[in-house]
Amino acid sequence: MTLENGREVLIRVRGLAKSFGGYQIWDGLDLDVFRGEILAIVGGSGQGKSVLLRVITGLVKPEAGEVELFGRNAKTLAREDRLDIESRWGILFQDGALFSSLTVLQNIQVPMREHLELPQSMMDDLAFLKLTMVGLPPEAAHKYPSELSGGMRKRAGLARALALDPEIVFLDEPTAGLDPIGASDFDHLIRKLQQTLGLTVYMVTHDLDTIFTVCDRVAVLADKKIVRTGSPTELQLHPNHRWIEEYFCGERARAAHPADQPRRLLV
Amino acid sequence: MLKRDHTLSLSTQARAPGFRVELKGTTFRLIASGAWTVAEATKLDIALKRLRVPIPPTPEFTGEMDIAAIAEIDTAGAWLLQRTAAAWEAGGLRTRYAGATDGFKILIEEVQSRSGAVRPKLEKQGAAQQLVEDVTKTLTGAWADVVQLTSFLGEVTAGLGRMIAQPWRFRPTSFVHHLDHAGLRAVPIIGLICFLIGAVVMQQGVVQLKPFGAEPFAVNMVAILALREVGILLTAIMVAGRSGSAFTAEIGSMKMREEIDAMRTLGIDPMDTLVLPRVLALVVALPLLTFLGDITGLIGGGVMAIAVLGLDVPTYIDKLHDAIDFQHFMAGMIKAPFAAVIIGLVGCLEGLKVEGSAESLGTHVTSAVVKAIFLVIILDAVFAMFLSGIGV
Repeated sequence: MTLENGREVLIRVRGLAKSFGGYQIWDGLDLDVFRGEILAIVGGSGQGKSVLLRVITGLVKPEAGEVELFGRNAKTLAREDRLDIESRWGILFQDGALFSSLTVLQNIQVPMREHLELPQSMMDDLAFLKLTMVGLPPEAAHKYPSELSGGMRKRAGLARALALDPEIVFLDEPTAGLDPIGASDFDHLIRKLQQTLGLTVYMVTHDLDTIFTVCDRVAVLADKKIVRTGSPTELQLHPNHRWIEEYFCGERARAAHPADQPRRLLV
Repeated sequence: MLKRDHTLSLSTQARAPGFRVELKGTTFRLIASGAWTVAEATKLDIALKRLRVPIPPTPEFTGEMDIAAIAEIDTAGAWLLQRTAAAWEAGGLRTRYAGATDGFKILIEEVQSRSGAVRPKLEKQGAAQQLVEDVTKTLTGAWADVVQLTSFLGEVTAGLGRMIAQPWRFRPTSFVHHLDHAGLRAVPIIGLICFLIGAVVMQQGVVQLKPFGAEPFAVNMVAILALREVGILLTAIMVAGRSGSAFTAEIGSMKMREEIDAMRTLGIDPMDTLVLPRVLALVVALPLLTFLGDITGLIGGGVMAIAVLGLDVPTYIDKLHDAIDFQHFMAGMIKAPFAAVIIGLVGCLEGLKVEGSAESLGTHVTSAVVKAIFLVIILDAVFAMFLSGIGV
């Protein structure tokens, strides 16, 4: 177990470098994800926020640097250990990435089938429990992804990410493309699930409302590395960086969360 | 997964999940221990199902789920506990939880609050009903296809009429582009295939006719077959596979990205820009390709005739003159423009029927090829009957 200031580090990234087509997107990127927090990764377009998620989850190889998952170096993991780690995280892709030939209930059961040997009746019950926990109506169980709305697909994708009760979930732009009410519902859902299941949440987001309502800590990706981390209010009060100032103190940010007002109550 | 203490690394022994039931005073207690997680759920499930629900002798007896010794719990563990507690409640024991940390309590309450939801049953139809439904669906679908294709033919004809009345509507660039793609670029493959089939038919003809001493007539057979049937059918099938599918894919992906809607709002008629140039290009290209197919088929047959029958080139050409006349050539050629219209219409119509998803694009491309080939063969059969009826 890796500790930093007395807190357990689930994911540690050190000195990451990556370039695409001759353009260097990061150079010496460092990041820690602590157990039990909701961490938001923000940054301008093209800074490689989604790529960072893909590097951490092993979908993209970095050119240099180390990724440590649950205290173990990702590079030297044996196949079985890698499978073990994959069952300890869940990933929600932007549009849910549900398997289109399976119903919602079957989609949620996919990780259970792959990693565990559970009796079918129990998988049905557990998958249905997950489905209700993410706020989907019972009728959605036997529907196919194409019959669901964008918001429902995201919820179903979240249910699949939670199928094995992971320790950490990665969310890629969870509220993108949702209307403000749907986005706010989703924010509350994330907060509630985080408290219920003791989750650690790593999310890539643009949404200032999400950041101010649910996130404990924000890591800002700019100038090819993580330039600052801190609570949203802290970053808004002391930006100390041009991009952070524009982002957190711009018109939209002040509308989302005026720093001089008390923080809104949650849930 | 929730742990009682995150700083503690549990030994394998301490993680082993388990439970026992004891009666203390008037309380039946289920004392659970270890890691109640989804990884251990199968074992726990079997053991819990074996557990008999205690029968309270008097109503004062209560139940208790003592989870003070549980080190780790997740939704699956909480669900197993909840299922057991619900069974005890149903047996007349009021059951409560003891020894939960705050985190455990939130999870257990969440699972409890969800236990009322009923999973909808998947409606399974009987085989007979399913069969009837499928047959009905297929038949009505086929009828709908006929109606759609006919009305699309009408639309295209009307569009063509408009274009003749207003010639500036014609898109020469697009027409030439499709003529190039559907026509010129198909030359090598169609030439090769017709050549090979001509040779194969000749060789087989010679082999089969030899016992009757009729092998010289193989030339007649190949010549008539190539001109009347093989040239046009092979060409049309190849074009349906190559260009019909390409039309569907091109128009379909434009439909998916709302490009066609954008065109309409800009006052551009997709009929003029997308459908007519494609159909017209095919109507021009397919007869030319058929002619190419006819000739390469005869050349293929000739090469084989020279090889197995020992003919020389002038003799082969003489034999061809004897075997065929212009009628046979025209009997094949006349079908080409009709086949072109069918392939073009089906390809464009299927493309316009594509809806939002990539899946729909794939299905429509497949069905465009299948329908076009099917209709071309039907057309061929109708022509065969008609032509032999009028004695050609």
